[in-house]
Amino acid sequence: MSGTAVAWAIFKKELRIYFVSPLAYVFLGVFLFLAGLFFYLGVTMTGEASLRVMLSNLSVTLLFLLPLLTMKHFAEERRSATFELMMTAPVPLWSLLLGKWAASVCLCLILLAGTALFPAVLAYYGDPDWGVMATSYLGLLLCCMAFVSAGLFSSSLTDEPVAAGLGGVILLLPFWLAGSAADLTSTEWLRETFRGLSFLTHLESFTSGVVDTADLVWFVLFTFAFLFLTWRSVESRRWR
Amino acid sequence: MISVRDITKRFGSLVAVDRVGFEVGRGEILGFIGPNGAGKTTTMRILTGYIPATEGTALVAGHDVFEENMQVRRKVGYLPETPPLYPELTVGAYLQFVAEIRGVAKAGRSRRIGEVMDMVGLAGWEGRILGSLSKGYRQRVGLAQAVLHDPEVLVLDEPTSGLDPRQVVGIREFIENLAQDRTVILSTHILSEVERLCDRVVMIHKGRIAADGTMDEVRQEAGGGTRYLLELEAGSESRAPAVGALAEVEQVAPLGVAGGFERLEARAPTDPRTAVARLATERGWQIRAMERHVPSLEEAFLAIVGRER
Repeated sequence: MSGTAVAWAIFKKELRIYFVSPLAYVFLGVFLFLAGLFFYLGVTMTGEASLRVMLSNLSVTLLFLLPLLTMKHFAEERRSATFELMMTAPVPLWSLLLGKWAASVCLCLILLAGTALFPAVLAYYGDPDWGVMATSYLGLLLCCMAFVSAGLFSSSLTDEPVAAGLGGVILLLPFWLAGSAADLTSTEWLRETFRGLSFLTHLESFTSGVVDTADLVWFVLFTFAFLFLTWRSVESRRWR
Repeated sequence: MISVRDITKRFGSLVAVDRVGFEVGRGEILGFIGPNGAGKTTTMRILTGYIPATEGTALVAGHDVFEENMQVRRKVGYLPETPPLYPELTVGAYLQFVAEIRGVAKAGRSRRIGEVMDMVGLAGWEGRILGSLSKGYRQRVGLAQAVLHDPEVLVLDEPTSGLDPRQVVGIREFIENLAQDRTVILSTHILSEVERLCDRVVMIHKGRIAADGTMDEVRQEAGGGTRYLLELEAGSESRAPAVGALAEVEQVAPLGVAGGFERLEARAPTDPRTAVARLATERGWQIRAMERHVPSLEEAFLAIVGRER
């Protein structure tokens, strides 16, 4: 059995767990309600046929919601003995991480797909810029990948799912607030550093229709950094 | 199949397992017994590669549990102390998942799952949600999970805990069948269980091996050997010296007089009862009872655990 096949098995199992419990549905409901609200406000306030307001607001919403989606991954496995199963069955650690990460990202894709109604409405009544729309969605997806990765890391630190969820939010908050901190300082280099830390800065190019390689790399690096930390954290836990 | 060499595991300053070593051969069922907190679970976790030992090595199915962790994981079936179940999944979906990660070939997968479910008495339970199962059924699913990939070595941590007597019999038969061509190591504190099932016993106490051998060896050594309880007609003086003078008897202790008969406890390498009967006939004593008493594993266990208290 190759590691890829094992990752696939874990991916399917995680998705199944999402959809047999109410979690995924509650999530979908809350997310789509907020998306609808942001869409309505965005379109009526700006008068533009664009999803810019909705998508950037959703990115912040996801910062708070996604850690709830990832909190159970390792915390819950460790509480029940299933972590013992994962660590004694021939499951390479990277397969376990990949399977879990991909399952959460896949749920994000489903959430994002749920908002497809709004572009359809725009196309019916107006003339939206499809290029901008596509890059905006790409940016939001990259956000999801990064947040899921940080959430996984938080979940690997504790046996308590709720603590893992809160920890995930706390972990991500600086990457949002850094943007506001940038406005508070007048020191040039400090402001640039703060702006660079904020995911909103890196999302800007995507929501304005540009795929900037530097921003793309930022999200990818963020994702890999936290996946790597998760790896180390899970690995080191066995030694204690 | 399993070779444990001087394994030590420390958790901070606590020594959970202290230089434990034993061997288990193919086709053998090893009973791993000891009081709670003796280090049974820790030892089993080391054997399955879940946690590394602080010192020492262990080979399972020819592979070092630490250096060749993945090979060991492929060859071992493991039932942890708590059955590792996802409460949200159904029995069928769960076993399907375990079969996938355990590398059970796709072609025979469904057949194998059905087979194992029949074996542990779960036929017809595919659709049940794991979270709603009773303890006994969770344990069965745990066992099914451990044997799905037909492992060479089975490590079972208290496979019969929480089961009712009827279920215990079922699981026992299941393990007996399995063991014919595999190696099984199981821990329990139900000693009658071990007496029925196991060829060999390793008794562990405070992290150390307190006894290791066949059932008879452990019982004899730890339990203090076979004893004979004699009840002979009481007289003005104790019957003990006369019985003790017999060539067959090694040692004799008077236990008191009750209802006109004196109770004696004798230790002897071979059965001395015919010699005692001859003596009694010569002297004209009546015999009320002569019992051979082989120490049970329980007595051996209490002797060891009690001795160190």
